[in-house]
Amino acid sequence: MTLKLAAALVATTALIGASGVAQAETYKIGITQNNVGVDSYQTTYEKAFIAAADENENVEAVVLDAGGDVARQIAQIQDLIQQNVDAIIIWPTNGKAVVPAVRKAHQAGIPVIVTNSNIAEEGLQFIASFSGPDNITQGARSAELMCEGLDGKGKIVQISGQPGYTTAIERAKGFEDRLPEVCPDVELMETQPGDWNREKSQRVMESFLVKYDEIDGVYAGDDNMGVGALNAAKAAGRAGDIAFVGATNFAVGYEAMARGEYYGSIYQSPVDDAEAALKTALDVLAGKDVPALNYFDTPKITKANMDEFDKPVF
Amino acid sequence: MADPRLKSIGDLLARQGILIAFAIFLVGFAVFSDRFLTPENLETVIRQAAIIGVMAIGVTVVVIGGNLDLSVGSMLSFSTVLVVDLHDKIGPELAIVVMLAATLVLGAINGFLVGVARLNSLIVTLGMLSAIQGLTLIYTGGKNVDILDQETTWFAIFGRGHILGIATPILMFLGLALFMHVVMAYTPFGRRVYAVGGNPTAAVFSGIRRSRLVFSTYLISAFTTGLAALILGSRVMGSQNNVGQGYELLVLAGVILGGTSLLGGSGNILKTVIGVLILGFIQNGLLLMGFPYYAQWLVTWVVIILAVWLDIAAKRGRLLSPIA
Repeated sequence: MTLKLAAALVATTALIGASGVAQAETYKIGITQNNVGVDSYQTTYEKAFIAAADENENVEAVVLDAGGDVARQIAQIQDLIQQNVDAIIIWPTNGKAVVPAVRKAHQAGIPVIVTNSNIAEEGLQFIASFSGPDNITQGARSAELMCEGLDGKGKIVQISGQPGYTTAIERAKGFEDRLPEVCPDVELMETQPGDWNREKSQRVMESFLVKYDEIDGVYAGDDNMGVGALNAAKAAGRAGDIAFVGATNFAVGYEAMARGEYYGSIYQSPVDDAEAALKTALDVLAGKDVPALNYFDTPKITKANMDEFDKPVF
Repeated sequence: MADPRLKSIGDLLARQGILIAFAIFLVGFAVFSDRFLTPENLETVIRQAAIIGVMAIGVTVVVIGGNLDLSVGSMLSFSTVLVVDLHDKIGPELAIVVMLAATLVLGAINGFLVGVARLNSLIVTLGMLSAIQGLTLIYTGGKNVDILDQETTWFAIFGRGHILGIATPILMFLGLALFMHVVMAYTPFGRRVYAVGGNPTAAVFSGIRRSRLVFSTYLISAFTTGLAALILGSRVMGSQNNVGQGYELLVLAGVILGGTSLLGGSGNILKTVIGVLILGFIQNGLLLMGFPYYAQWLVTWVVIILAVWLDIAAKRGRLLSPIA
């Protein structure tokens, strides 16, 4: 994919060069990431991004990381504007706080591509495109998985991600909106946050198990939390009665799925995510018509089709 | 305050306020949730509280000695990641030894900087909080670590097992609390920690080696954090890089709820146990009653602030400071 794109770009550059228009040989693309190193997804994303940029000889990448600090990210965006890069890719540390900096880049004529998690609505007018997973769809597909796992009937609980985090909110919303449409007989009894933390999720599930005599399904914002819930249910001897569904497949979830303990999840590859971001930036720079919300596909994964997917690296 | 009856109520609150608050919470939750006072739930809560509790025992010793330890949360992340990662590489026995040794080294750094170099413990341990988090991320490169063979490893005993019918985390928590209580209340070492925390100058002039003593309190809090990492790693059979994030505040909250003065020189290990259990029961009780998470945060921290206020008010005999 990247090679083809590179070829296309070389051809385009050659054409432009032939027609005598001054054109930079390479695109300088700056990326400021959220918090590399804090989890395997972001670490793998960075590696994949650098690999994709290296592979494409028309791309010179400036790879930065905000370390989870919104002030540092804003400073990095300003630096990239100063360096006059051709495009800025940003993985927002905070969807609202970065909007003024994004506007500044927009005013400086530098296209901004948001990756992975979108910025706040008021900032959408300043960006060229958003490239990332569709959290709402992930939540909705999880609801469909839950429905299959329970044969359309049962009582479930939800363990959501970090409160206030867009990904957590959207994965919950997608699930909650879709569930009654596909499965009116599945009742969501309660939702509590697991803060993306397996131990916290395990604690929450232990309390749920005390509180409810009947739990048929658990929906977790990702498999890391889902496996925490599975741990708790196994300790209480109730895991066999419960269908576990996560909104993002992790290695631990993949393994539990192979053992038949975990029903299903949604497959989201950080490599796809990174490559999609770079491709979106290049498409924007090439003047192609890029959708405002440029989602990459995140399919359902269950024991039945897991052979088609590599074990997640995170 | 002239009324002697009021004074005796004040005295009672000052001395046993934490126990009274504990009783009120237990009764309150029991009224609102029929699941709360079941043996199953009580075991769950104490088992959950054991991780924070084991750490809080060590931190209580540091605080009685007149210092703070805010690095224990990220130290817990580091130690858990280390023991889980090494479990599959060098086997559980060696992994535990290496992890405890590495954790003690971190404690020794804290102890050296605060005890020997005499730097402010808030700054040192706050700095160590971030430094150790960085160390953990360097070690893992951001990856989660997991134990592959979860079903047969004996490592499961710490977080999931039972000894004599009692869940191991509970046994470790309460056993360690009793042991440290005896050490602090009945040994010369314990007396010296109180002395150094209460009046460092006087302690030094009475022949106590302050540097060495403060150093050893940080070794103790590092060691208890290492034990907590055993429970956590075994319970989850995996670890994230930031698994202990924010635990330092919960630990400190348990210590403060137990009535240990942040100024040093006073405090009680067994009351720290009560403080930690109160935190655990509040969180569990609010969850059983179906409160949303923000109500849990609000109630938990309001209780902590009130407890600190009550503690100070009881000590000085009035609610507000006499100095304007």
